[in-house]
Amino acid sequence: MDARLANTWRLTLNEKNFIKTALLSEIRIDGRKPFEFRNISINFGREDGSAEVQLGQTRVMGIVTAKFVQPYRDRPNEGTLAIYPEFSPMADPSFEAGRSGESAVELGRIIDRGLRESRAVDTESLCIVAGKLVWAIRIDILILDNGGNLVDAANIAALAALMTFRRPECSLGGEDGLEVIIHPPEMRDPLPLIVHHLPIAITFGFFIDENVVVIDPILNEEAVMAGRMIATVNANGDICAIQKAGEGVSQRVIMQCLQLAITKAADITKQIKAAVEAYNSERALQKIKRETTCVGNNVKGDQNQTLDNKGISELVGKYMERLKLISVESYASQNISAEETKSLRRGTDSNCIKFNSTPLSWDPYSKCVDLEFLKASVALQGLSTASEEKEATGKEKGSEAESAGPYEDVNSKWSAVDASTTEMHVIGPKTLKDAVKPKNKGKKKASSVI
Amino acid sequence: MENKQSSSPASFVDSTVVPGDVVLDLSSMTSQTIKLGGGLRQDCDAISAMKAGTLRFSKPNKYWIESSQKRYVPCVEDTILGIVVDSKADNFLIDIKGPAMGFLPVLAFEGGTRRNIPKFEILVESSHNSILFSMRLIGLYQLEVGTLLYLRVVKANFGMNPELSCTDASGKAAEFGPLKDGYMFETSTGLSRKLLSSPTCPVLEALGKKLSFEIAVGLNGRVWVNAASPDTIVVVANAIMNSESLSGAQQIIMVDHLLKNIQ
Repeated sequence: MDARLANTWRLTLNEKNFIKTALLSEIRIDGRKPFEFRNISINFGREDGSAEVQLGQTRVMGIVTAKFVQPYRDRPNEGTLAIYPEFSPMADPSFEAGRSGESAVELGRIIDRGLRESRAVDTESLCIVAGKLVWAIRIDILILDNGGNLVDAANIAALAALMTFRRPECSLGGEDGLEVIIHPPEMRDPLPLIVHHLPIAITFGFFIDENVVVIDPILNEEAVMAGRMIATVNANGDICAIQKAGEGVSQRVIMQCLQLAITKAADITKQIKAAVEAYNSERALQKIKRETTCVGNNVKGDQNQTLDNKGISELVGKYMERLKLISVESYASQNISAEETKSLRRGTDSNCIKFNSTPLSWDPYSKCVDLEFLKASVALQGLSTASEEKEATGKEKGSEAESAGPYEDVNSKWSAVDASTTEMHVIGPKTLKDAVKPKNKGKKKASSVI
Repeated sequence: MENKQSSSPASFVDSTVVPGDVVLDLSSMTSQTIKLGGGLRQDCDAISAMKAGTLRFSKPNKYWIESSQKRYVPCVEDTILGIVVDSKADNFLIDIKGPAMGFLPVLAFEGGTRRNIPKFEILVESSHNSILFSMRLIGLYQLEVGTLLYLRVVKANFGMNPELSCTDASGKAAEFGPLKDGYMFETSTGLSRKLLSSPTCPVLEALGKKLSFEIAVGLNGRVWVNAASPDTIVVVANAIMNSESLSGAQQIIMVDHLLKNIQ
């Protein structure tokens, strides 16, 4: 009890008076102007749908997850959206673990109102089987550090997380058409949520004198202010929600604040969108890198070798079958669809094939591996190693000509190849581009190609 | 601080130590008496560190560990800034940013007798709903809950509430007592020590050349600033808060920047 008393944050009379007098001359204690927002920085986590927002000293994290539920009976074809705020005791000495006070409930309610009632998130697209199965989106808001104005920061975190969240694609199938198949992310790209607009919450603080209004109050100002208004607006000029507490304020001031809120919301919307764009493009880049990376991890060394020999023949066998069945043209399409090839590749670790991960110079219709050549090479059990040689050339003919030459080398170099990992790049996640080896090699390697 | 080499080959003075490091070996310095300050403990012949920080030494024989935290551990004879929280029969409860509340005896003011005890009124806005302790009406000061006081630590023992005083050792007021107006902000204990060090801290010197202000630094990580105009106060406060991790030269540059922006 004594410890709790000793730990509470207190405001001195000096501070109270000073904040009020300074505001009369339009000076805020952190040097900002009355209508200046603090710097916002948005960072994303490794998983889709997690964002951390820093607003000055305030830090908030938003995490979005989804699962299947039965819809509400009065809305059978809409998904659900729920906000769970958590005020962590590490943020402020007055926050208790577990039991969240009324400010937590208020925060959750404000964000919920902004997202759900303004229909920012499209819930009808979350329906899978009307009346039976819908997606339930859950947004967890975790307060990490309380530096004032938690609502605004939490709102931005929730929006950023929603925009980067991806849910798995699912389709109906099965015998009666009612079975729901969830496609894993490797099979089909997960889908983003449909967000129509971004409702931004802007907090205003009112002080004793009516003309004194500040935007984005910090902790000390919040303790001193007499009234508070949180306006949730979007960049189009729509007012989604208003929450007003404390001292009464004249209508003129309210209208001014709303105008100001719309301008600020436009800025913040731009910032959020820019951050999400950057994240998305990085994500796309990573995905591409992953797929073009050679799975030919065999390069790792001797351990792979034994595996190689066994796996190779297996592989070769499968490969040969496939080759026979498909024409050269369809190779291209074959390569593109990873699903089928996946099965071939899964679990086999050996490929002496080395890939260089060049960012995408992948033209399915150019230099295909010559079928004959492939058969020959496989037969000689040099294994796809021949592909290395092929890299330089983009032409089928060229490759053919080469095949003879490098062939002997390939065989002799077999062990050497494994040992030296110099050319090998990344191997990590086996992507299933393996199967397409012969084809890919030509393309991937030849950066000049195309 | 001279680096007096102790007899151990690697002297830890002025270098960073972590809890568990044996910093002094007493067996090699039998004829000296050594005074141990905070953060050090004695295990037979070995002196080991209990806190992480820098080991400091001052002639002739004082060793202690200096570290910077946000929490304050009360030490005797420290001057600190406390906030009045409540008043009890014999003491006022003061918040000093430490593990326990400090007790300020009702009589620990200059000229304080039972006849003129400072009166602490409880304001309506405060969270405490206790009844006002009313003794005599004649008050030396009108102190309200939430008043900022400049105090001295008289007793500080582990596990007990520290005892404070508003007078110096001889009973005179000597600048202790309530601070009027101005603005108070919190810092780490390391920064407040830097601000109080001599020669003057570069930040304060640079600020003092251009602005005139009054400052009171508490070793418990609280600083009070007062000046004629609010923007001076805001500039000084922000400059000090920013100077925590900067070196001397960087502090001067930072202050120049800040001052240029407001002029």
